Parts: sequence; C-alpha cells; structure tokens
Amino acid sequence: MAASHYEAPIRRPLVAGKKTYHDVTVDVARPVEGKANKQWWIVFSISLAAFLWGVGCIMYTITEGIGTWGLNKTVGWAWDITNFVWWVGIGHAGTLISAVLLLFRQKWRMAINRSAEAMTIFAVLQAGLFPLIHMGRPWLAFWVLPIPNQFGSLWVNFNSPLLWDVFAISTYLSVSLVFWWTGLLPDFAMLRDRAVKPFQKKIYALLSFGWSGRAKDWQRFEEVSLVLAGLATPLVISVHTIVSFDFATSVIPGWHTTIFPPYFVAGAVFSGFAMVNTLLIIMRKVSNLEDYITIQHIELINIVIMITGTVVGVAYITELFVAWYSGVEYEQYAFLNRATGPYWWAYLLMMTCNVFSPQLMWFKKLRTSIMFSFFISIVVNIGMWFERFVIIVTSLHRDYLPSSWTMFSPTFVDIGTFIGTIGFFFVLFLLYARTFPIIAQAEVKTILKSSGQYYKEIRESGGSLAGAAVDVRTSGGSPMQVSEGVKENSSDKVNDLLDSIGVFDAATQTADDLKKISGIGPKMEDVLNSIGIYTFLQVSKMSKKEYDLLDSITGSFPGRAERDDWSGQAKKLIN
Amino acid sequence: MKGFIKIVVIAMVFVAVSCQDKAAPNYQYMPDMHESVGYETYGEAAFPNGIQAQLPAEGTIPRGFVPFDIENSTAGYNLAKETLTNPLDSTEVDFERGKVLYDIYCGVCHGDKGDGQGILVKREKILGIPSFDDVGRAITHGSTYHTVYYGKNAMGSYANQLNEEERWQVTSYVMKLKQDLEK
Repeated sequence: MAASHYEAPIRRPLVAGKKTYHDVTVDVARPVEGKANKQWWIVFSISLAAFLWGVGCIMYTITEGIGTWGLNKTVGWAWDITNFVWWVGIGHAGTLISAVLLLFRQKWRMAINRSAEAMTIFAVLQAGLFPLIHMGRPWLAFWVLPIPNQFGSLWVNFNSPLLWDVFAISTYLSVSLVFWWTGLLPDFAMLRDRAVKPFQKKIYALLSFGWSGRAKDWQRFEEVSLVLAGLATPLVISVHTIVSFDFATSVIPGWHTTIFPPYFVAGAVFSGFAMVNTLLIIMRKVSNLEDYITIQHIELINIVIMITGTVVGVAYITELFVAWYSGVEYEQYAFLNRATGPYWWAYLLMMTCNVFSPQLMWFKKLRTSIMFSFFISIVVNIGMWFERFVIIVTSLHRDYLPSSWTMFSPTFVDIGTFIGTIGFFFVLFLLYARTFPIIAQAEVKTILKSSGQYYKEIRESGGSLAGAAVDVRTSGGSPMQVSEGVKENSSDKVNDLLDSIGVFDAATQTADDLKKISGIGPKMEDVLNSIGIYTFLQVSKMSKKEYDLLDSITGSFPGRAERDDWSGQAKKLIN
Repeated sequence: MKGFIKIVVIAMVFVAVSCQDKAAPNYQYMPDMHESVGYETYGEAAFPNGIQAQLPAEGTIPRGFVPFDIENSTAGYNLAKETLTNPLDSTEVDFERGKVLYDIYCGVCHGDKGDGQGILVKREKILGIPSFDDVGRAITHGSTYHTVYYGKNAMGSYANQLNEEERWQVTSYVMKLKQDLEK
C-alpha cells in the first residue's frame, strides 16, 4: 500500500466499472441530454391520464361536496387521511437519506440521495393535497394561517395537531426543497456547461444560479449542507410525530397511544425506503446507472427496511401487550376488533406485509436479489397503506357507543383521488428523471477515488493513483492539427463545410466517438477530425451538398457517406 | 424596470379599487351562508302580496294578549271616556318610563308639557294641536287611551308602536301633564 489513503479492505466499491470523473459526468448527463424513448412516453402518458383522472375527482369533490366520498358520520376520516399519512411517510425516506445518512457519513447515500429527495418533495406535494381537498370548504383553507384580519383579528387555535400539521408539512416541504436545490447547484452547473443547444444552456444557467465551483463556494456548500442536514433530521422526526399526534392526542381507543410518534416515524422510514427501492430499481435499469446504484445500495436499503420493519413489528406487539395489560375494555375491544372484526383482512394484510416480509431480508440471498427487493418494496408500501387505513378506520368505525358503530366503504371518488395522486407523483418523477441530474455527480466524484472500483483496484494492486483520473477525452493536447491527408488548397471547402454543419469548440463540447457510425473507421475518424468534425451533431447536419464537399476534400471513397447515411445514423446516436 | 414595476403596482391598485361601486353592495368572497335559507321577517317571498310578513287570521288571539273591545267610533270614544279606567295601580305607574315614551311618540306634536306646543307646531309644520287642559275636551284616562289606541281626527293610531302596558303608562303620564297644566 503505497498510498497514504487508508480504507478498510472490507468495504466494497460504491462505484462499479472503470469510471473516471468524465464517465460520471457523461453517465449522469446522458438521460438529461438524450431524448425520451417510447417506453418513457408510454409510462408518462399513463401517469398523466391517472393524474388528470385524479384532478377530475378532486374537482368533483370540491364542486359537489365531500358527500361524494364514502365517509359517514362515524367514520369522518378514511382514505383522505390514510393517503395523506401514507404520502408523508413515503416522503420521509428522502430526507432521511440525504440528512441522517449525511450526519452518519454514509457514503452510499451519494448515489441515491438526489432521487430520494426528489421523491420526498413529490410525495409531500401529494400529501399536501389531502389536507386541502378533504376540507368541506377548502376555499377558506387560508383561515388556518394566523393572519391579521377584519374579524377583530380572529386567530387560529394553536392547540390542534391539525394546525401543527400545517406548519410541519409546509416547513418540511420548504426545507426539503431548499436542501435539494442547494445540492443540485453543482450538477445543474455541469449540465449548463455541457449544454450544446442555447435553450438548454439558458435553462440550466438559470437553474444553477451561476455556480462556478470555487473553493470558497465549495466550503460554504459543505457547511450549508451540514447545517441543513442537522435541521432536517429533527424536522423529519417532528413532522411525522406531528402527523401521528392527529391520532395520538385524541380520546379514541386505538388512537390514544403514546407509542405513535416514534412508531409512525419508524413506519415512515420503513415505507419511504421501500418506495426509494421501488423507484431506484427501475431507474438504475432504464437510466443505465447500474454502476452507481449498485446491488450494495439496494442491499443497504433492504437492511434499513428490515430494521425499521422490525421496529414497526415491535410497536405492533407493544400495542397489543399494552391493550391487554391496560384493563381498559374499550382498548382491548379496539384490538380485538382489528384482529377479528369486519376489517380483519386489512389487519392481516398489514401484519403480513409489515411484520413478516421485512424479516425475509435476514437472508442474504433474498436481500441481494433485485427482483425480490422490488417485490418486497411494493409489498411494504401496500402494507403501510393498510397500516394507516387500519389505524384510522378500525378505530373509528367501532368505538365507545355501540349505537354509533358502522362500516366504511370507499366510493370511486376516494379511489380516483388516490390514483390521481399516484399519477401526479409519477408525472413529476418522470419529468424529473428526464430533466434533472438524477445522481448527485458532484458528490459521487468525491468518493470516486476512495470508493470507486477502478481506483480501489489500483490501490490494492499497489499502484499509484497519480494520473489515474486522466481521461483522453477531456485532457491532452489540442486536437486542431491538420493532418497531411488534407490538401492545403481545400481550406476554403473546409470552411464552407464547417459553416453549414457548425464548428466544434473544444472548450465547451466533447468529441463523440465517430467510429460508432457504420462506415467510419479509425482512419476516417482521423480524417474527419482533421477537417474539424468531431461530434454526431455536426455529422447529423450533413446533406447532399455537405457530402459532396466532404468527398472533394478527402478525395477518397466518393459517395460513401451518402450511401451509409451518416447523417441519419448520427441523429440516432445523439439520442 | 423599477419605474415599470411601480406603474404596474399602481395600475393594479386602481383596478382593484375601481371595482368597488359605492352605490351597490360590495363584492363578496364565497358568500356561503350570506343569504338566508329560512324566511326573514321583512324579506320578500313568493306569497300572495310578495312579502314574508303575513297577516294572522282574523279573530285569533295570541297568548298574553287581551283584545280591546271598545270600537273605533265617536260612540266608542264616549264609552271609553265614561267607563274605561286605568288598570295600572299606583305601584305600577312609572312616570319616568311614561315620560320617555311620551317624549318619543307624543312630544313632537303635543309638546313636552302637553301644551300643544310641540316642535312641529312651533315650526308651523302642522297646526290645531290642543292643550291637554283644554276644558272643552276634558280628557280622561279612558278617552286618552282610546285616542292612543285608534287615533282621533288628525292623529293616527299608536297601537302599533306601543303595547297595552306602554299605552297605559303614556296615558298616566298624559293625565299627570294635564294636572300640571291645570295648576
């Protein structure tokens, strides 16, 4: 070990493959710079349709009234608040990954924190819809804010956890948004600097706030990240605690419990990580990020799911024990009703999905299986949806007064609204995945030499890392040497050609591998480079006139470019 | 740019202010329970005469109400003058309340002293208001009450403004003014 760096040999690489800094950039930028494929459009259309259906349901609810839902006088909260708590819970993993794992110096968070935070923000947006649309008169929702007014400055009562929810959710959303966006600045700057088309350059220049990556900027960036992580961590815990207070501070048997705050937070992390797993397993595949979101990441997420799932399981047992131990017949009946009442199937589903399924993660073979992880991640989210449903509905539909006992069944509007939020979530996430750098490349680059497979291998074989990051595509001498194959008197023609297809600027653009075009070999690539043709973009702009000019410059293989349709091939390669 | 923003802000304020018309009720934001669903006393309704306040059936007597049986005619007036007496005894007569009611409903014509020199008479808006001590009229409790109840000549009925007990209080006060004038 010649290097001064020490890392425990037990640690597995976090970045697979022979990745250099430039590779990271290219891999992260590829989904943004390329065009969406057919599958993306199909999934996006389905999500958009679900979203629009949800919008319709919401409009119907607001114009027609809450009576379009399946609520009744006994069960006043059901799918609305179930979905609210479910979405808020899902949102929690994002902040946990970016904040708590940052405080614990977990390097593996770097490849997943960006998407996890995006998930947080999109999930909290969905959650934020429900407190508004479940209101009888949502147009007076602004009354929840303590604003001086003409009613003798009538204010809100600060004793309600529903008001705390307002503050919790809005603070949570804004802090998460700021935290996310700060982390995005260096990555937007990267996209800005790579952008070829002026519109993209303008957009990413605006989004990156003029990030120039100076030492002082980075120093402050790190400090801000740490401070925000320190703020976001108590926020995560308090937000879901406050959400749990909606129930825990009530007098309803089955709700009035002191275990709810930590138990809800554990459940939130549980379901949130499951959702992260669902999304990342798909994303690493479709965005070709398997080298960054490795099986190790999935395994670690699975371990978090296993731990929090166990915490949730302990909480379930605690609740049951305390109900038995309490001697309060209402409390005992509430749990008896959950297990054997008319909603026994929901309780059983919740118990199976939340207590049983995460325990399978003890088996290494299962937790390192992508297919199995994906399956369990969905199972967990179904289970956690039913956890909230069971807590809310089974406690309400049978409580103190038997004459008030009733049942609950949702209407299509309840279900449609929920489907709509799922659609909205995926609309946002799909748009995000095509326009945002989905991996925090700036952060991944900081661990590339310590945790990248390539560099670890160099270190372990006793080699030196000096110069190991050199990438022939980004370093080396000026490529603008004119080779001897091109005659001097053709310079006018070269200028004509470059006028119509654009000049390559080595400072802002990177050369493409023109050999990918069938018909261009290493030799032809050299010739093209000597003329000044380096990118697919340039080749794609060629037409009959340019082909003829090229032929007259090179004097070799006349008509070859046209026959092979270089331009058409290059257009495909750009995408 | 700054000047432009100012102009936009001022224009918006003008637009916002110009929307309010002082001659018409102002705009309302979501008047959920602003219009009454139930009938309101003085509202309009799709009843035969278009108003929500309908007349009770004739001959009906509400609880706590005693009909006044003496008819509205000279004969009735004379009957009241001779036979009708004040039901209020000395403990029930309250001259202070009588004065308040008299000053509100009667003083404007009859004058605060009952001498027929009310403010409308002094300003010559009306004339022909007799003094309470007019010997030719020789008003009594009964005749005063009858007059307050039905009106007489140019005077209208005050049965609508004053209830039975108030009318007797006013009557008592009128008789007191008469005594004071005769001193």
